[in-house]
Amino acid sequence: MIELKNLKKTFGSFVAVDNVSLSIPSGEFFGFLGPNGAGKTTTIKMMTGLFTPTSGQIVINGFDVVKQPLEAKSTFGYIPDHPYLYDRLTGREFIYYMGGLYKMEKNDLKENVERVIDLLELASWVDKKTEDYSQGMRQRVTFASAFVHKPKTIIIDEPMVGLDPRSARIVKDSLKRQANDGASIFMSTHILEMAEELCDRIGIINKSKIIFLDTRENLHLHKTKYDGNLESVFLELTKEEKDQ
Amino acid sequence: MSTFFHILWFKNLMFWKVSSKKDFGTVIRNLGSFIVFGSFAVGAFYFSNFITAYLLENVKIGLFLFHRFIGMLLFVFFITINLGNMVVSFSTLYRSPEMNFLLTSPVSYLNIFVIKFLDNFFYSSGTLFMVGFSVLLGYGFYFHLPWHFYLVMMFGVLVPFMFLAACVAVIVLLLVMKLASKINFRLLASGIVLLYMCQIYFYFKVSSPVHLVQEVMKYYPNVDLYFGMLDPLAIKVLPNFWVSEIMYFYVTKNFTSVLQYTSLLILSTAGLFVIGLAVANGIFYSTWITSLSIKSLTVRSLELKNTFFSFGKRSYFSSQTEVLLKKELWQFLREPSQWIHFLVMMALLIVFLASVSSLSIKLESPELKAVVYLIVFIFNIFLINSIALRFGFPMISLEGNAYWSVRSAPIAPSTMYWIKFSIVTIFLTVLSIVIAWLSNIPYLYAQKVFNQFPIPPSLVEPHTSIKILGYYSIVVTPIITATLVSINVGLGSVYSNFIEKNPIRIASSQGATMTFLLSVVYLVIILAVYYLPTTMMFVSASKNSSVNWSILKIVFLVITVPSIFIIIISHVLGIRSLRRDY
Repeated sequence: MIELKNLKKTFGSFVAVDNVSLSIPSGEFFGFLGPNGAGKTTTIKMMTGLFTPTSGQIVINGFDVVKQPLEAKSTFGYIPDHPYLYDRLTGREFIYYMGGLYKMEKNDLKENVERVIDLLELASWVDKKTEDYSQGMRQRVTFASAFVHKPKTIIIDEPMVGLDPRSARIVKDSLKRQANDGASIFMSTHILEMAEELCDRIGIINKSKIIFLDTRENLHLHKTKYDGNLESVFLELTKEEKDQ
Repeated sequence: MSTFFHILWFKNLMFWKVSSKKDFGTVIRNLGSFIVFGSFAVGAFYFSNFITAYLLENVKIGLFLFHRFIGMLLFVFFITINLGNMVVSFSTLYRSPEMNFLLTSPVSYLNIFVIKFLDNFFYSSGTLFMVGFSVLLGYGFYFHLPWHFYLVMMFGVLVPFMFLAACVAVIVLLLVMKLASKINFRLLASGIVLLYMCQIYFYFKVSSPVHLVQEVMKYYPNVDLYFGMLDPLAIKVLPNFWVSEIMYFYVTKNFTSVLQYTSLLILSTAGLFVIGLAVANGIFYSTWITSLSIKSLTVRSLELKNTFFSFGKRSYFSSQTEVLLKKELWQFLREPSQWIHFLVMMALLIVFLASVSSLSIKLESPELKAVVYLIVFIFNIFLINSIALRFGFPMISLEGNAYWSVRSAPIAPSTMYWIKFSIVTIFLTVLSIVIAWLSNIPYLYAQKVFNQFPIPPSLVEPHTSIKILGYYSIVVTPIITATLVSINVGLGSVYSNFIEKNPIRIASSQGATMTFLLSVVYLVIILAVYYLPTTMMFVSASKNSSVNWSILKIVFLVITVPSIFIIIISHVLGIRSLRRDY
């Protein structure tokens, strides 16, 4: 479960995230949309402890991310927008490394490393050094490293960057499986079709504020007001905000 | 040619855009840098002035020996710049992502080479120029030298001297890379290390400082005279010798010789640069292509699969500590610029220790003995500091863009910090004790003294005071080491740069330079404090008087208490920096 309460982040005089409040129950797949520079990544970085909020509160699975960072972090897995890995380690070593950071037991870790390698179909190249990986391969390894400790919550920033169609399918399937297993998923994306296909609920952020928050079903009602596709809804919403 | 200047212009623009930001943080940082650099320059001036006065007036070693010592220091300086440039050039010419971009642009390979070479040279030499000039000022003020001395020394001597070292470095590197297509790269790297070890060994063997001192001192008190006949021929062809001669002849107002040696230095530098360009023009691109295959060559044999060190195996460490340790190990072993530089430094250290542990200087004056002891003592610490700067300072930055993995995981950033600190501290503390012990061998154990034939050599025990000084240094050295590592790792975190992948560039960044200067200020203070017990012990040995233990205790406190304070401050700053927004 994720709760964001009046979350705000400023950089000098620039307000990157302004008074964002959200509540994502366990098992929900939440899509976080918005144009470039709207505040998606900043929100995610605050949720994962990479940024400290200027004000407001983030509670993940009952733990305050600022006050109880270690407890909160042990319950979620994070997939960043740029899948940077340690170049000198192999993919398998990186997954082991992440499992170790999450204090997994030896046998449990070994078993789960094999599980995520199968899940994301990494076996044929996972023992090569990550410096030789393509963007898509790196992205899949970060997914595997986020899934290895079986998190209750998964936070993903732009999951499809650099993925070929096959990799994209593998990633989507793996996310669906995690959601079916009861994990709550918070995913920021630019790919509207993906949000439409996977998410139970969608939020749109623009100019640091949430401007739309509703379920997939209600989104369909919105779509009918336009030409029947999500892209038009998105463009209209962000355009209106721009014109104001 | 216009492309060359076009690129240089934009590089320059980039540099000034970054350094002339006007936000509060940057202004404070720049002001801090200015204060530290300025204080260091003033400190270097006074230190150089004081040392010159002390050696010439108190110890009375004479102008000739003084300049020969300068020559020896310049030899070490030359080798340091040379090796430093070689390793940095390897990274910037063959490992930098900028090369991938430049090589796809319509710029000639030679232009790219020259741009990167100059970038490299000025990037890593800026601080050395400043320190060099401050030292020259201190020296020149002592001798009341005219204004043109500083101009000639700076632009006609110091810059060409350092540029010569850089040219030699890049030529050797190009040739090594050429050979790397035929011979195993690690074998070649080992060969180069061995070659430099031999070079240093033979330099000190041939120049024989102890013999030189003994020979010159036979003429005491006329030790300001020129004893050029004592210089071996092999030494005279080295640029460090030319520089020391220029300085000697400036002081003795022999301007004809100054002009001759300065011309020789400038012409040799120009010649080496032209040779470097010719070699680069012929082989740079092909060696760059070769370098792509070196990556796999160097890494393959460093696998230790299914051993204790592989990630799948577990030990008695906590899982977090274990994976962090293993990650550090593999990142180090699989990064050629790390382990090659490490091997080079260790090789130089072995040469130094081999020389120092068998050092036997027959000097009468206890002050002179104390000076020799202090030089070796501070050189040991300086070596430790160099290793701490090179390998400790970049440790946090080397997390690179993958730092998200630690920050988003359930591990306190301080845990990662302490593990990194412990790795460097444990290694360097052990090393510092070994170095301190080896360099104190001549002061701790009985030494063979050769008598006139046919009387066999006798064993002479060092005086108790000298033995105590030896043990005292062995105890003090690890405390200083821990402080230096704390400064380097702590400030390495404060000045962390997660974008830069090259550890050598991280270790020669502005933050690293600041750290180095702060460490040197600490070392100068230690040297000043340590001067007291050292001279006291040597005087006590010469007069056969008892040891003043209260002075030893006070000096120990004067070193330990501020060191602990510096250690705490460094770690507080370092850990706090890890909590910044990433």
